[in-house]
Amino acid sequence: MNTLSFIPLLLALTLSPLLPGVINRTKAFFAGRHGQPLLQTYFDLWKLLKKGAVYSRTTTWIFRAGPIIGLAAALTAGMLMPLGKCPALLAFPADFLLFAGLLGLVRFFTVVAALDTGSSFEGMGASREVFFSALTEPALFIALATLARQTGQLSLSTMFGSVSNAHWLHSGPVLGLVVLALMIVLLAENSRIPVDDPNTHLELTMIHEVMVLDHSGPDFAFILYTAALKLWMLGALVLGVVLPFSSGNPWLDLALALGGMFGLAVVIGVVESVMARLRLLFVPQLLIGAGAVAAVALILTLR
Amino acid sequence: MMTNLILVLVVLTNLKLLGSSRLGASIRVVAAQGVMLGLLPVLAHVHELSLHLAALAVGTVALKGVVFPWLLFRALREAEVTREVEPYVGYITSILVGLAALAASFWLGGRLPVSTVEPSSLLVPSALFSILAGLFLIVARKRAVNQVLGFLVLENGIYTFGVGIVAETPFLVELGVLLDAFVAVFVMGIAVYHINREFDHIEVDRLDRLKG
Amino acid sequence: MKHEALLWLLILVPAVTGALALRLRSARTILGAMCAGVGISVALGWYVAGKVLLSGPVSAGAEWLYLDALSAYNLVVMLLIYGLSSAYALVYFRAELREGHLTLKQARLFASLWCGALAAMTLVFISNNLGIMWVGIEATTLLTGFLICVHVTGESLEAMWKYILICSVGVAFAFMGTLLVGASAHGLGLSAPEVLLWTRLQAHAGSLNPACLKAAFIFLLVGYGTKAGLAPMHNWLPDAHSQAPAPVSAIFSGFMLNTALYCVMRYVPIVEAGTGNTGWGLRLLTGFGLISILVAAAFILFQHDLKRLLAYHSVEHIGIITLGVGLGGLGTFAALFHTLNHSLCKTLAFFAAGRLGQMFGTHDMRKLAGVMRVAPVWGMGLFGSLLALIGVAPFALFMSELQILKAAVDSRAILALVLFLFGAGVVFVGALGHAIPLAWGKTASTVQPARAGTLETLLVVVPLVFLLVLGLWMPGPLQTALNAAADVIRHVSPALAGSPGGIMP
Repeated sequence: MNTLSFIPLLLALTLSPLLPGVINRTKAFFAGRHGQPLLQTYFDLWKLLKKGAVYSRTTTWIFRAGPIIGLAAALTAGMLMPLGKCPALLAFPADFLLFAGLLGLVRFFTVVAALDTGSSFEGMGASREVFFSALTEPALFIALATLARQTGQLSLSTMFGSVSNAHWLHSGPVLGLVVLALMIVLLAENSRIPVDDPNTHLELTMIHEVMVLDHSGPDFAFILYTAALKLWMLGALVLGVVLPFSSGNPWLDLALALGGMFGLAVVIGVVESVMARLRLLFVPQLLIGAGAVAAVALILTLR
Repeated sequence: MMTNLILVLVVLTNLKLLGSSRLGASIRVVAAQGVMLGLLPVLAHVHELSLHLAALAVGTVALKGVVFPWLLFRALREAEVTREVEPYVGYITSILVGLAALAASFWLGGRLPVSTVEPSSLLVPSALFSILAGLFLIVARKRAVNQVLGFLVLENGIYTFGVGIVAETPFLVELGVLLDAFVAVFVMGIAVYHINREFDHIEVDRLDRLKG
Repeated sequence: MKHEALLWLLILVPAVTGALALRLRSARTILGAMCAGVGISVALGWYVAGKVLLSGPVSAGAEWLYLDALSAYNLVVMLLIYGLSSAYALVYFRAELREGHLTLKQARLFASLWCGALAAMTLVFISNNLGIMWVGIEATTLLTGFLICVHVTGESLEAMWKYILICSVGVAFAFMGTLLVGASAHGLGLSAPEVLLWTRLQAHAGSLNPACLKAAFIFLLVGYGTKAGLAPMHNWLPDAHSQAPAPVSAIFSGFMLNTALYCVMRYVPIVEAGTGNTGWGLRLLTGFGLISILVAAAFILFQHDLKRLLAYHSVEHIGIITLGVGLGGLGTFAALFHTLNHSLCKTLAFFAAGRLGQMFGTHDMRKLAGVMRVAPVWGMGLFGSLLALIGVAPFALFMSELQILKAAVDSRAILALVLFLFGAGVVFVGALGHAIPLAWGKTASTVQPARAGTLETLLVVVPLVFLLVLGLWMPGPLQTALNAAADVIRHVSPALAGSPGGIMP
């Protein structure tokens, strides 16, 4: 646990709200608009923290606890996720299981808080969210298992640390398939197109947005921040596989990783701009497809 | 490395076929698969390129990439269909079955006593997987065009097998196989046209007057 | 030299006739030209085959074309069936032409596909290259597909689609098997064009990779077996045979099934020698044969359609032939003899069924009753052929089946013996139950009796007489020919060739 390993967590905490800004700017560019300021999410967070919260009389302590527990879990997960070649704060064998479990915890408390309101919109969103996550979990786990088998390491930090040019040259197709599966998981978990449209204002078409309709003030700020953190961490997961370079200098590696992160945000923005949202009927097919791609990668690795 | 990439892409295209209900997209996917497989022998023997190998590759790409899709799209247009109807086995189950078939192909490929280190160790498993996927499409789909596509995938798998197994299949025989695929698709296209004209649909599960 | 030219001509003549048929103007001329072309091929083929059976194998085209005793014998039988069926086609379509059911386009289609199929089947027999043999079989599938639906109806289209799809998949499997056989010769140093030549593989059979050969044989048996109508891959057979016009059903049953089985027979000596003569392949053949017999027996019991009944009889008899080859020794001899008998008999049966169907307007056996009164000649043909098919003595089929039974006893295959007898018994009872009402049941009053012309009478009497004579007496030349052909399958060298049973099973 040297000083270097604090940096991924610090960067995540400070820079993660920048990611939604970059994505929105990319989408605006495609649409021919100027778009929101890059730091808009920071302004939103600041504004929300200053406001007061309104609680419905039908809710209980779960509704108040949900966002806070979610944020705590996200922060803990941040301690596990390395950035590129830079190791994370906590690293032990099979820490990716804990990571996935913490993300699951975030989702669980969001869902439970949504159900606590007793509103039908939230319930609908909750059921969709849980269904789609049930389909992405296998994809995530199979992809991580493939990665573990490929690199021979069991901890996220060491896994990403050992992905190198040689790996890409030797088993390029396998790693490519893993990246594809993880990208689809990223898009699904963060409620991006083609799974969910973050800009829609029609509750019947929402998944994630509709679950958090009733939160306000600091609670909503926590939720927004948790979403940004989740985006950062899953992005770091994809980045860890994609970036094979390892120059000797750790600062150069960090700079490359940061560049990669914002590049990934641009890619997400591009995907959001060129595709339309899939009909809800076909989203399971997409997610199972991601699972199948990961399974193919696993089979190719195991032979 | 290139051959590995092509074979992985072939595996992915087979999975896409198993999970897709849009007939137009399926025809294009099979055409892409055919083109990639046509290029496979050229890439595998890129050092000993001979005239007949190149001619065969060009012929295969032309037939599978251009002629077959044209014939099948014509059949689709005549029958005025765009999608598969509710198939015997649902799409998600099809993909899961496909994954099981892929695992089985890898297992079988390891047990088969053929020396196929060149051009790639992925060759026999992906060939077996194409064969199984093609068979599954023939059995589990209801529209006749989908069955023809399954047959084409089956032939692709056998062709891939041939590229790896026999060091140099005699030129005339390879030509025979190609011609056979062409005539088969041609014949099946005409058959689909007649079936559509007579019955006004091309769903083979509704062809059930002959029993016993 | 001269033989080479003849071998090439055997393929070219039907092909040219078929192409010619597309250009002629009237349906009668087309049918006439078709018969003439077939007649020339028959004469040529019998001449070459006779030469081969007398003086040994003939090869041409850098050994890509090859005719030995086995293929010569089969060629003779095929040409006989084709000749008879072409003559019958004249009779059958004459009635249709009179009523205007056959259009010019249909006649052209029929004649060109008919001759094309003959060319393809000849290619299968005279080809030494196993890959080209496969191309021939696939060509027959595609060419005969449209012969089924010359008259386009819902049922014929359904039958055609099933036939094309199932047989193409089967033949694709057979190609896998062919590739695997080529792969098993991997380390032998054969050059690329030679690796699929049967003569080369036969010569090196002992040093082929046995595991590869086993995998190959399974694919080949399933693949070619689909085309031959072995159960459980026989689903296309009843539909295709019942929906096709009678001449087409006659060549399907009479010859195409045997062609596919011939392909399997070609591989048997190679596989046997390659797997150390353990009889592994033969046991598989026996198994498939028995399954076919039993499945066919079960389905024969409840058939309503006459042509479907005959189709299931085909499945049964193909099973018997396969069983014979699987038993080896005398069984191989008997199986080849049975090929001739079954082809003749089945052809006659389909001739009768077709003509009677035309007279009665239906093939449904509940309505097709009392044929002996309405059309004595064809009725006798139908009843006689049905009797022969179920193995009544003294028809030749009884003799060949008896020889197979003896072979089973000789090789102590008691289970096979019991199952075969059981299946044959069920078939006997079931088919006779259908045959007697057919012959002497009450006729519907709407059917007019019809007189049979000279050609028709000949077509009925000649095969029946043949079958009776062969059942009582085996001519010397036929015996020598059968022995020579069986020896090819049994992989016995010419020096050891002897009595029908071989010196050892």
